[in-house]
Amino acid sequence: MIEDLAFIGQIAVKSSIAVLLATLGEIVAERSGILNLGVEGMMLTGALCAAAAGIATGNPILAVAAGTLAGGLLALVHGFFAVTLRVNQVLSGLALTLLGMGVTSFLGRPLIGIAPGVRLRAVPIPGLADIPVIGDIFFRQSPLAYLAYVLVPLCWYWIFHTGTGLKIRAVGEDAAAVDAAGIDVFRIRYLCTFAGGLGAGLAGAYLSLSYTPGWKESMTGGQGWVAIAMVIFATWNPLRAVVGAFLFGGLTALQFYFQAVGVELVPAYVLKMLPYLLTIAVMILVNVGPGRRFGGPAALGVPFSREG
Amino acid sequence: MAMTTLSSPVLALTDITKRFGDVRANQRVTWTLDAGRIYALLGENGAGKSTLMSILAGRYQPDGGEIHLRGSPVRFLSPAQALASGIGMVYQRFMLVEPLTVAENILLRRGPIRGKRTRDIRQIRELAERYGLLVNPLAPVRTLTMGERQRVEILKLLYRQAEILIFDEPTAVLTHAEIDSLFDVFRQLKEEGKTVVFITHKLEEVMAVADEIAVMRRGRMVSRVAAAQVRSHHDLARMMVGREVILSVQKPPVAIGEAVLTAMGLSGPAGADRLKFQDVDFEVRRGEIFTITGVAGNGQEQLVAALAGLAPMAAGTVSFRNRAYTAARWRRRTGDGLAYIPEDRDRTGSIDAFTLVENFMLTRLDAFGGALWVRRRRAARATAAAVRDFSIQGGGIRGLAAHLSGGNRQKLILARELSRRPDLLIAEQPTQGLDVRATEEVWQALLRQRASAAVLLVTGDLKEALTLSDRIAVMFRGRILDIVSAREAADIDRIKLLMAGLGKRE
Repeated sequence: MIEDLAFIGQIAVKSSIAVLLATLGEIVAERSGILNLGVEGMMLTGALCAAAAGIATGNPILAVAAGTLAGGLLALVHGFFAVTLRVNQVLSGLALTLLGMGVTSFLGRPLIGIAPGVRLRAVPIPGLADIPVIGDIFFRQSPLAYLAYVLVPLCWYWIFHTGTGLKIRAVGEDAAAVDAAGIDVFRIRYLCTFAGGLGAGLAGAYLSLSYTPGWKESMTGGQGWVAIAMVIFATWNPLRAVVGAFLFGGLTALQFYFQAVGVELVPAYVLKMLPYLLTIAVMILVNVGPGRRFGGPAALGVPFSREG
Repeated sequence: MAMTTLSSPVLALTDITKRFGDVRANQRVTWTLDAGRIYALLGENGAGKSTLMSILAGRYQPDGGEIHLRGSPVRFLSPAQALASGIGMVYQRFMLVEPLTVAENILLRRGPIRGKRTRDIRQIRELAERYGLLVNPLAPVRTLTMGERQRVEILKLLYRQAEILIFDEPTAVLTHAEIDSLFDVFRQLKEEGKTVVFITHKLEEVMAVADEIAVMRRGRMVSRVAAAQVRSHHDLARMMVGREVILSVQKPPVAIGEAVLTAMGLSGPAGADRLKFQDVDFEVRRGEIFTITGVAGNGQEQLVAALAGLAPMAAGTVSFRNRAYTAARWRRRTGDGLAYIPEDRDRTGSIDAFTLVENFMLTRLDAFGGALWVRRRRAARATAAAVRDFSIQGGGIRGLAAHLSGGNRQKLILARELSRRPDLLIAEQPTQGLDVRATEEVWQALLRQRASAAVLLVTGDLKEALTLSDRIAVMFRGRILDIVSAREAADIDRIKLLMAGLGKRE
């Protein structure tokens, strides 16, 4: 029983890392008022570039960096449309997702079936990994999972307790006010859009280097969309993103568990649906609950221009 | 260029020109400002005052002309650059980030640095005390009143050591007491050698505090006079609109008829943690203008929203045209007879991206269309008639509402609502931000409407209330303290006391 619990917990954490990283990135972007619906596309691009760089170099650091940076660069495309050209951010984000899906499916074709060049295996942390149950669940994970553990509090501190974070939140609330205070709105929004892309790219790299090493078409399976929903679930707070991501991971893990033990309490397809049903349920709950405190950035998706 | 001496102007504008598309907002405007003086900038809506000030503050780039600051030419590419040179502006729409605290807003640019926080806050407190700008640095801006927010805006500029402070219609959102203390701040800034420029429509304010008056008309600077040389409000009004305007409105007597709307025990809004208005009773009769006034934030906004059917009420009954409605049924009431002129004419009252004709149809779709058709020609004729009757200027009936100035937009809404031939007209802050001429036209239209309807006016402008009303109800903390007829000076004093929550009749 205890082993089962540890097993489920370990898989749950493992399955939540990509969503968590992407959610963190999107929180930063949305805090600055940039709604980027291209997370799925950026994750796929990150995953492909990480896998390709892994095969080409065999160097795990280069592979992770390539995936992360690819996500960031793709986000800058969105930044150009959303910040500089001030087009509708929903459209631009959707275009990014479609672009990411199409390009990776085309360029990734030669990589399908090739042995991955880099596999980031679980690294037990000495000492911590030996704690019963907890050690198994949290401290026998991929190095990128540990990176995510560190990024959560860092992101939170950055947004809520630094001068830059204050500016980011202020831009997301009222860009004109921030401009009048003499702060460069464009720079902050580009920076946050880029940071959001880095998060999604890193999430993709985790998928193709660690979670299921190697490239497969559409390997994100909608996790980018889950991340966007989790931003709302987390009410734009990196600490709460952990809860959302873990819920997602937990449901995914349950599905693996039932497959592994061979019992089919509910059909596997229903279990596969659960994370997405959860996402929909979360969106409904967040918006109709009695203490309806939304907490979203007021200027989310609103372009800024000084004249007019 | 002349040598910079002590007597030379601190700021000189030469031939400033600015275009927005086809509209020439500023045409070769030349103006000089001295240190230690208060300037009032007057002009009708759309005269180019805000544009000129935004150019000074670095928000807009001029298309032509030069700015000299202390004798040397400057060009501001952003508000940041202007502020760094000591020029700061308090916009009509406050530039504050609402969820952040006062201190965070003031320190926003630098960002709070840990450890120095207590020192920063002490510094802000000291600055606030020195200028009498009392506000708690740790309070979130969203909890502050408009007056307090303005103080934060001024503190922001003073904290950045601004020498030239520009205010775009600073008194529009303030109460009488707040206006007085704002002017005290102006005078203190002046004593310290700073330059204050403020845009206004209200002539009495100009006379009260300005040293020099500049008047703009259709993008040009038409006159500059020392305040001491102005003999009367009429002089100023004439300079602004270029013709003699009547400041006292003719008010022909009209027979008072039956009660059109009777409110009994209204409380609301429904579902709120705290009631914003409670036990409100009044009636509005055909042939009269009944006014609800009070300091902003005493429940008038919520009451009028409930009466207009925009928000649910918690309790009470409304009787309208001899039919009684419960609080719940009033909101679901359909049918005509009630017209509403909302305070926010730009968003609630009209749609920017629609033409005048389309805007005119908005509340009259029953007259101009059905489920499957729209009577465009008929609507166009009605709109053209309204444009003619109310002399609405700008773009013609196929032009977009976005291109109308505030006054013309208000006249369009007024014309539309009056064309519905309502039994009750609810007008909320109908002349806020309008110039003298537009205000007068709106007033005349409201007075004319008494002949056929009951008018419920909700205004915070005491002068407007006194000019138009037959009876005035004063609201304080959600209740109507008293209803006054306002015929004599004693009544006016009483209204002022009531607005401050004093003098309730037992």
